[in-house]
Order: sequence, then C-alpha cells, then structure tokens
Amino acid sequence: MSSDFETYEQDFGTITAEVTNKIGRIPKLSGEEKTQLVLNVDKQLEEVRELLEQMDLEVREIPVQSRAMYNSRLKSYKQEMEKLEKDFKRSRIAYSDEVRNELLGDDAISSEGQLIKLREERAHLLDNTEKLERSSRRLEAGYQIAVETEQVGQEILSNLHTDREKIQRARERLRETDANLGKSSRILTGMLRRIIQNRVLIFVLGAVILLTIILAIYLNLRGH
Amino acid sequence: MDNTGKEKEAMQLMAEADKKVKASGSFLGGMFGGNHKVEDACEMYARAANMFKMAKNWSAAGNAFCQAARLHMQLQNKLDSATSFVDAGNAYKKADPQEAINCLNQAIDIYTDMGRFTIAAKHHITIAEVYESELVDIEKAIAHYEQAADYYKGEESNSSANKCLLKVGHYSAQLEQYQKAIEIYEQVAMSTMDNPLLKYNAKEYFFKASLCHFIVDELNAKLAIEKYEEMFPAFSDSRELKLLKKLLEAHEEQNSEAFTEAVKEFDSVSRLDQWLTTMLLRIKKTIQGDAGDLK
Repeated sequence: MSSDFETYEQDFGTITAEVTNKIGRIPKLSGEEKTQLVLNVDKQLEEVRELLEQMDLEVREIPVQSRAMYNSRLKSYKQEMEKLEKDFKRSRIAYSDEVRNELLGDDAISSEGQLIKLREERAHLLDNTEKLERSSRRLEAGYQIAVETEQVGQEILSNLHTDREKIQRARERLRETDANLGKSSRILTGMLRRIIQNRVLIFVLGAVILLTIILAIYLNLRGH
Repeated sequence: MDNTGKEKEAMQLMAEADKKVKASGSFLGGMFGGNHKVEDACEMYARAANMFKMAKNWSAAGNAFCQAARLHMQLQNKLDSATSFVDAGNAYKKADPQEAINCLNQAIDIYTDMGRFTIAAKHHITIAEVYESELVDIEKAIAHYEQAADYYKGEESNSSANKCLLKVGHYSAQLEQYQKAIEIYEQVAMSTMDNPLLKYNAKEYFFKASLCHFIVDELNAKLAIEKYEEMFPAFSDSRELKLLKKLLEAHEEQNSEAFTEAVKEFDSVSRLDQWLTTMLLRIKKTIQGDAGDLK
C-alpha cells in the first residue's frame, strides 16, 4: 500500500521538476515552440493532478495511525502543485508580453532591454571592483600600521633593556651603599665608645691628681 | 626686570668670591682657616652661576661653574669638582660648544680617575652628540661614541654599549668606512640574536650589514646573506631579505629600473629613513656606473 504511495511520490517529483524547468523556459521563447511548450506543460499538470487524486485514495486506505504523516505530505504536494499552476499562469502572461514586444518593434525594445540589463550589470561589476579595491587599500594600510607597530615595539624593547640594566646597576650600588653605611655606623659607635673611654680616663686621672694634691697639702699641714 | 636684577646680584657675588679667593691666597689667610674661605667662595660661585642661568646668560654661568670646579679641585673634592664641570658643560652647550666640550672632557678625566666609568661613558655620549649636532665633526663624534661603548662594555651594560656601537656603525658607513661598519653591525646583530627581548631588532641589523657588504662587493653580499640566513632563520621571512634578493638580481642584470621599482615597493610599505636611502643610492650608482663602464 505505502509502496504505491512512494512510487506516486517519485513520479510527482520528476514531473514537477520537468514542469518547473519548462515554466522557466517559456518566457524566453516565442511562437511555435512556445505554444508547444505550453501545451506540454498543461498536459503534465493534468498528470500531476491525477497523481494527487490517486495519492489521496491511497492515504484513505492506510490505517489511521500512520495516516497523519502521509496526510501532511499530501498537503505539501498539493501546495506545490498550486504554486506550479500559478507560476505557469504567470509565465503565460509573460508570454503575452513577449508577443506585445514582437508587435511593437521587436529588435529595438528587446535590445534596449538588453542594454539596460548590460548597464546594470556593468554598474554592479564596477561596484564590486570598487569594493575590492577599497578592501585591498585598507589591507595595505593595515599592513603598514602593523609594520610601524613592529618598529615602535622594537624601539620600546631595546629601551626597556637599557633601563633594566640601569636599574640592576642602581640596585647593586644601593647594596654597596647599604653595606658602607653599616660599616660607617659601626665605626661611629666605635668612636663614641672611645670618646667615652677617654672622658672616663680623664675624670679618673683628674680625680687622682686632685686627691694627690689634697694629700700633699694635708701632709704638709700635718707636718707643720 | 627680574633677570637684570639677578644678573647684577650674580656679578656682585662673583666679585665677592674672587676677593675671598685672593684673600685666602695670602699667607695669613692660609693659616687661619683659608679652607673655610675657599669653601665659601665655592658656594658663592655656584649661587652666582645659578643666577646667571636664571638670567639666561649661559657663558657667564658656565664661567662661574668652571671657577667653582677649580676651587673644588683645590680642596680635593673631586666629586664636587666633577659635578661643577658637568654643570659648566651644560651651560656652555647653549652658548659655546667648544668650551662645553672642554669642560666635559675635564669632568670625564676626573670620573675615570675615580673609576666611575658609567658616568664617564654617559658624558662621552653627550660630547659626541654635541659634535654631531652643533660642531658637525663626525670623526670626533665617532671616536667619542666608541670610547663610550668601550666603557659600557667594561661595566657589562651591553645594551647601552650596543646603542653606542650602532651610532658608530651608522656614521662610519656614512663616511664610507664600510669594513668597520660591517663588523660592528654583525657583532651587534649576533649579540642581540639570542636575547628574547631584542631579537626583533636583530633582523634590522643584519639588513644593514648586508647593505654595507653590498656596497663593497656584490659577491660578499651574497655570501653574507646566506650566512645570516643560516644563523638566524627568522631573517628569511622578513621583507628586508626579499628586498635584498631583488636588489641582488637587479644588480646582476645591471637593471637600475628593476632596482628602483623594488625600492619603491619596499618604501610604500614602510618608509625608508635617510641612512637607508643614502646607502641604496650608492648601490644604485654602482649599478649605473657599471653600465656606463660597459659602454
């Protein structure tokens, strides 16, 4: 049962493809070929309609559970067919445009149409080329900036290196100064100590001398 | 208004200081704390010099500083003397370059005597700059830059040494001492190659070295470029190498138009500086010269 449905689907697919193709070609042709093509398309559309009806019958025979899927497919096919019919009608109207053109002076107008189309195409292409040029110019500018940035970066790096060395040297000198300061503070404390020692010594000596003088005077007085 | 007032004051101070110095010269002054007087005189000279600076009378200021420096020497204050000489040099820079150089030279002598080579090197650079800009004596400038580089190398500050060496190379190439320039650029490039901070500079130095090789002899240039590519693979990606290869080709074919075109192309991406343009022009002349010989 469903295999029939699938065969119908495949046929539907092929015929619709053909129809679309022919509909696309119709406006461009004229005269005999056109009428033939139009009849062709008509026939195919008929076939398509029959196919759809058969598919409908098939779907009704399928049990209820799986029917939903097939139903939706059928609906989409019907929509497609309607679209094709509309396209077909439109192309036939275009067909009548072509006829009018033929009536009203074939070569001039169609070639004018062509000229207009050509001009449009050229404008479009020029636009594209301009866009390309603009982007390539911007790329070049970007590249230049990148190169400049690299150079600036180089300079900065070498400056940093120099500064690093200077800072290292300064640090070394600072440590030396620190050590020297330590030494000098020790020397100063040493000096201070010695000064105190000297002062104490002077006091002691002074005291001794004073004592000796007092003793001498005392002994002298005692002696008298 | 203020300035002329300052100048007069400064003149007064100078005169006083002079008197003090003379006074201390006599025997008595020497006995009774002559040093004290000389120190005072030093200070007064310094103050006078500062006032001259405010009045923008640079030569007078320089003069005052020089006097102060000499007095410091008498007092055996080497450091102070050197600083005063440097101040004098700075003041003279704006008025009389030659005097400035004299003062700076004296300062450098004192510093090297004391063993402070970094500062001496810095002052060598200052002198070299004066020679570069105001006296335009490139040879002496090169000599000073070299001296500075040597001192920096002695103090293990390779970056500053490289900076000076580059200038030496720059000017030697301008003076057509290509062999020296080549050696210098190669040396610097090789020492910066390994350092991650500086390796982006290395390719520039190789480029310059190759250009100098080129001027001397084309074959040398080819060999040199191969050697550099081997040593430093990043060099091969650079636009500079591509330019060099194009130039070599153009030179072989004696085609000065291809040469100019290649140079223009490079210039459009990154502007060529003055040194590069001079070198490239010389190379171009050798091409045209060869073509002329053929005729």
